Amino acid sequence: MNDSEDIVRLESVEKTFRDFWLRPTVKAVDGLSLSVRKGEVFGLLGPNGSGKSTTIKMILGLLSPSAGDVRLFGLPPRAIEARRKLGYLPELSYLHPFLTAKETLRYYAGLCGLKSAEAKERTTQLLEMVGLADVAGRPVGGFSKGMARRVSLASALVGRPELLVLDEPTSGLDPVSTKEVKTLVKALAANGMTVLTTSHLLADAEDICDRVMILDHGKSVAEGRVSELGTSLEDFFLAKVGDASEFRLAPFLG
Amino acid sequence: MIGFAKVFWLEIVSLVRSKTLVMLAVASVAWMFAAPFIAKGDGTADGAREMFVRYSLGGAFAILLVSLLAAATGSLARERAAKRLQLTMVRPVNHMLVALAKTAALTLSGASVLALCCILMPFAPGVGDGVLGRQCSHVLKPRLPSPRDEARDMYDAYMADPETPAAVKKAKKSVVLRLLENRAVDHYQTIATNDTVTWRFASAGTAAEAKGLAVRIRFTNQFDVRQDVRGELRIGPLSGVVSNITKAVVTVPLSRRAAEAGVAGAADGLSFSNKGSSALMLRPRKDIDLLVPADSFAWNLARAYLELVSILAIAVAFGVFLGASLGRPVALFVAIVTLVVGEISPSVIEQYPDELETSVADRIGLVLTRFAAEVTRPVAALQPLGRLASDECVEPGETARVVLLDFVAVPLALALLAGLVLPRKQDGL
Ligand SMILES: Nc1ncnc2c1ncn2[C@@H]1O[C@H](COP(=O)(O)OP(=O)(O)O)[C@@H](O)[C@H]1O
Ligand SMILES: [Mg+2]
Repeated sequence: MNDSEDIVRLESVEKTFRDFWLRPTVKAVDGLSLSVRKGEVFGLLGPNGSGKSTTIKMILGLLSPSAGDVRLFGLPPRAIEARRKLGYLPELSYLHPFLTAKETLRYYAGLCGLKSAEAKERTTQLLEMVGLADVAGRPVGGFSKGMARRVSLASALVGRPELLVLDEPTSGLDPVSTKEVKTLVKALAANGMTVLTTSHLLADAEDICDRVMILDHGKSVAEGRVSELGTSLEDFFLAKVGDASEFRLAPFLG
Repeated sequence: MIGFAKVFWLEIVSLVRSKTLVMLAVASVAWMFAAPFIAKGDGTADGAREMFVRYSLGGAFAILLVSLLAAATGSLARERAAKRLQLTMVRPVNHMLVALAKTAALTLSGASVLALCCILMPFAPGVGDGVLGRQCSHVLKPRLPSPRDEARDMYDAYMADPETPAAVKKAKKSVVLRLLENRAVDHYQTIATNDTVTWRFASAGTAAEAKGLAVRIRFTNQFDVRQDVRGELRIGPLSGVVSNITKAVVTVPLSRRAAEAGVAGAADGLSFSNKGSSALMLRPRKDIDLLVPADSFAWNLARAYLELVSILAIAVAFGVFLGASLGRPVALFVAIVTLVVGEISPSVIEQYPDELETSVADRIGLVLTRFAAEVTRPVAALQPLGRLASDECVEPGETARVVLLDFVAVPLALALLAGLVLPRKQDGL
């Protein structure tokens, strides 16, 4: 593979969290290298606390790595140019409670530099797509978890990103919505969008990912194409993580 | 720029929808209309108006200053704590513009509430009719060497003087100079009976031509003895008679009295002849003001407004910067402490003008206080309301400088710093 096609590239990245006195508390990411190529759906899997969100935040420039190098579109993640082609759905939906769904999308459209008319059109389109057209004028503070998730997803897409970063996209969604989100991600990928997603739900990952990496305690324990695993992702996962660590499996077997 | 506009808009929307803005407006306006019943003047209509202008607008401004400072420390810090800030941070907007937009939005909110107060002020009870048309005056001070120069000139003689205390002679030169400088400000000039003294004024040559020229004299000497004062003031062809027994401050209008020929005063100097029975002591730097007519109260109010808004801007920018760098509670604490220190340090320094007779701990405290006073002086020393209340002109030149510095330059610099700190401040993500 050609280097220039790497949308995201991490080389021996480490992240150690420190307390107020700068004493190390957790090594959340430990010598991680990975690359996400143009047009693929890349899944970062692993149990809770394995460092998935931390990795994502370093890719987004929200956290700086303690060691190693992170590149986003070949640029340092804090470059404005890199952020121009980015959409991000955080772990939980953090919305401005005073804004309506429509205003939320218009706000993020503006931050992406969309002109007023375009922002308006894009907002209507996206609210339609995530099924919130009816409640577009209601403050998001009163939305249910699932509705808030949809608003967040729509605002991640508002700037027509080339790279969509999803942190646990299906968490908190009912089975029907989960299926819708998966369908949506597949459709976006089919249109050429690069997707980086994390999940602790293997069934979800198996459905949408082209390639996965399994993290445990901040280290990569396995990496591969889903189509080439030869076994179900769950068996693969258990084989890799089950012997690599002593963590409790119950939470993500379900 | 769209990003800037959006962050600005979001801040305004949240101020409006959280009812913060309306509560601020209600509190400030309510204070304005309550002030006349709380602050009482000296019984005269002018005194009442002066008190009112000072305390009504001053109170409303204080409410705004403290609330906006508090809101500013929260504008980034609370967004960060609620984890919403990261959604803005990953968008293609310059982080400095984010900080600047928040500063601008909060400042604009404060400015509009303050504007409302200024517009309503003429209608408040106690202000009196026609206040907007009142004339204000430029206040000219006698042209004297600066206290620092005077201190330098006095230094050698003072150190050679056998009466100078030994402790002072052992002190560092800079300390002694500061001591002398503080004294120079309060330097008394003695005017014996039938003596005439002349003070020069920078632009008195043209001032002498002005209609409505007046001289204001303060008679509070060291011992606070009210004297029987009689004398005559002259500048160019104008003159005025001073006759005072009870008042601490008198304003003497100067007029052209053609009949009284003879000694015309110097064109650029104000002379005072003591015609009383006893010698008179005055501090020319503090006690003598030449009042030259300027424009109206309305214009003065507009300039005072600009200065006040500039102070709000600098406070807000500082709060936003603190919120970018620190967590909310710490940022709020630092902001309030800075405000208090800025307010009280000048008076602390005034009461402890030199560190000759104090302990090491006191000295350290004084050095810190002096530093704090120095840093906060550009803002803390602004007294637009005092000037406005006493019909003294808020000088346009000064207003321009304040706006450039406090409204533009410092907030820009603080926003730049906030923009640099923002992505590096990582806990709580
Ligand atoms: N801001 C933070 N400060 C300190 N420790 C953190 C912080 N964020 C995450 N961690 C720790 O880093 C580890 C990895 O967390 P995270 O990346 O959120 O895991 P995941 O997303 O895979 O569930 C956990 O042990 C977590 O407690
Ligand atoms: Mg996570």
